[in-house]
Amino acid sequence: MNFKEFIFVALEGVRNNKLRSFLTTLGIVIGIAAVIAVIAIGEGGKAMIIGEMEKFGTNIYQIYPNYRDGEYTKPRDFTKEDVEVIKKISPEVKWLSPMKYSRGEIRSSLGKKNARIIGTTADYKLIRSVELARGRFFNEEDDAVGRRVVVLDEKLGEEIFGRDNPVGQRVMLWNSQPALVIGVIKARESQLGMEPDRMAYVPISFMEGSNQWRYVNSLIGSAASKDTVYKAMDRTKLILERRHNSPGHYDSYSMEEEMKTVNKITGIMGLIISSIAGVSLLVGGIGVMNIMLVSVTERTREIGIRMALGAKRKDILMQFLIEAVVLCSIGGVIGIILGYGGAMVVAQFLNLPPLVSWWTALGAFIFSAIIGIFFGIYPANKASKLDPIVALRRE
Amino acid sequence: MITINNLRKVYNTGAVAVEALKGITLNIENSEFVAVMGPSGSGKSTLMNLLGLLDTATDGTYHLDDQEVSGLDKNQLAELRNRKLGFVFQTFNLIPSLTALKNVELPMLYAGLKPQERRERAIIALDRVGLGERTHHRPNELSGGQNQRVAIARAIVNNPAVIMADEPTGALDTRTGEEIMAIFQQLHQEGATIVLVTHEPEIAQHAQRILRFKDGLLTSDEVVENRTIAFRKEVVG
Ligand SMILES: Nc1ncnc2c1ncn2[C@@H]1O[C@H](COP(=O)(O)OP(=O)(O)O)[C@@H](O)[C@H]1O
Ligand SMILES: [Mg+2]
Repeated sequence: MNFKEFIFVALEGVRNNKLRSFLTTLGIVIGIAAVIAVIAIGEGGKAMIIGEMEKFGTNIYQIYPNYRDGEYTKPRDFTKEDVEVIKKISPEVKWLSPMKYSRGEIRSSLGKKNARIIGTTADYKLIRSVELARGRFFNEEDDAVGRRVVVLDEKLGEEIFGRDNPVGQRVMLWNSQPALVIGVIKARESQLGMEPDRMAYVPISFMEGSNQWRYVNSLIGSAASKDTVYKAMDRTKLILERRHNSPGHYDSYSMEEEMKTVNKITGIMGLIISSIAGVSLLVGGIGVMNIMLVSVTERTREIGIRMALGAKRKDILMQFLIEAVVLCSIGGVIGIILGYGGAMVVAQFLNLPPLVSWWTALGAFIFSAIIGIFFGIYPANKASKLDPIVALRRE
Repeated sequence: MITINNLRKVYNTGAVAVEALKGITLNIENSEFVAVMGPSGSGKSTLMNLLGLLDTATDGTYHLDDQEVSGLDKNQLAELRNRKLGFVFQTFNLIPSLTALKNVELPMLYAGLKPQERRERAIIALDRVGLGERTHHRPNELSGGQNQRVAIARAIVNNPAVIMADEPTGALDTRTGEEIMAIFQQLHQEGATIVLVTHEPEIAQHAQRILRFKDGLLTSDEVVENRTIAFRKEVVG
């Protein structure tokens, strides 16, 4: 008998005992379905988070001081010259901008709105790949002279000016600083809602000139490439530490690092889920073994007949082993389909794409076949060791 | 074809040992049709199981087709059963989930024949026992007589050296039993060697030779005078 014939015999066995076959494989179906569903949702979620992060920019990093006393920033943690020097002497650092955060009202004759007002430099546009819906971002000349200009994001622009074009309009910032709107930033699509705030950007020199915020909160930079983010980050920190004679004073943060964390978390989650799935598949496998044992007992006479007609030990062993493998594989396939279906439903609610790679599906399929081998071998071996005459006499 | 010498079989069931065969010596020639008779418990089935290589003797020798079988392992015995022996049982011993055709194909499956050839030969064998049109029925859709025909087709499909039949008519009514005996007689005429166990004298009368057993011993060995010739009806009941 060759392998194909064993499969036919096994399929015959499955077909002739549909209900029992179904019950046998139920544990595997549920186990595999759960694994596939969780992987699909997990991978989908991960892909979405990483996609969002990539939208933010993978080369980006930020530097901020690490006060342990709850203070955020103190004066002279960063200077204007720091930025110039770092840019000049570090090839890894492509662009670098100081950032100064504030909150304040933006008022025009048409309306007003509270927003986050950020002071930065022209590099910011390049670092964040800012795209403009209208007008322009401020440039180096604006920075140099501290020009009183402001760039709004699209939502903010709509909220203040309605259908009117904000560019060219005059606004009052912080109730005391008049400025000219020169650009509107295109809204980014974000499913995670990473930028829920209404944002406005002004040259940091304008902010300093307004004499209310005397110091820089953080630096935002962009490395030449994804691979040089750590180098750029370390270099920036090192120069700052030297210039301010304050080792260990600066912390850094990068999307790259964030992604590593995401990967680590999903990895841990995967591990936990895998062990739960492992347990459920173990239970399923024991179920398969149990019912295969019952099946061997029920079919003892059949085994005796087959042996009388010339079936060798190997033939009987293979028949039952392959029956177990076929059962588990069918259970695996049904589980993959159900799991994916379940993930699609859940993903619909969570608004993320379910992801099951071919490798995952193939892996699940092979794994269920292995369960068949592992838990089928004992019953199959038991069947093959029957004595033909004893088996024939059994009623 | 079959030569046994001082064959003994002792069953050790717990405390008591039962000597089911107490040293049997006999010879069955090629193309003989032999009936084995004796009261219940006389050792007929035990002998058949030994001759059928389903069980091993406690003592003595057994040559099947000039081959000594006592030293063979399980796989070799399985192969010999497959190639040289055909079994017909009282209770038919068909696999209930398989169709008549699939049941008849089984010995050829284990002989390693290709599906196409198996199918063709199974159809021919079923035709020979008068079941040409019932090939796709399962055992529970067939009568006792029909099932026994399927079993006979299965027994002959590998062209065995010997057909072993243990009470093949025991579960059938007289008329059906007669039909089955007609098939055996026809197979014998075509050259088959048949060993048939029965406790019914009328059935034994169809054979050429009768071996009588009592308490595990061969008590007589005689040629049948006035053999009954069974008439084969092609109509399947
Ligand atoms: N498997 C067995 N274990 C123990 N004793 C057995 C077994 N098979 C048969 N016997 C005993 O051996 C004797 C012969 O039995 P058997 O060959 O079945 O007789 P028959 O077929 O002529 O009715 C009986 O006494 C029976 O009880
Ligand atoms: Mg008997």
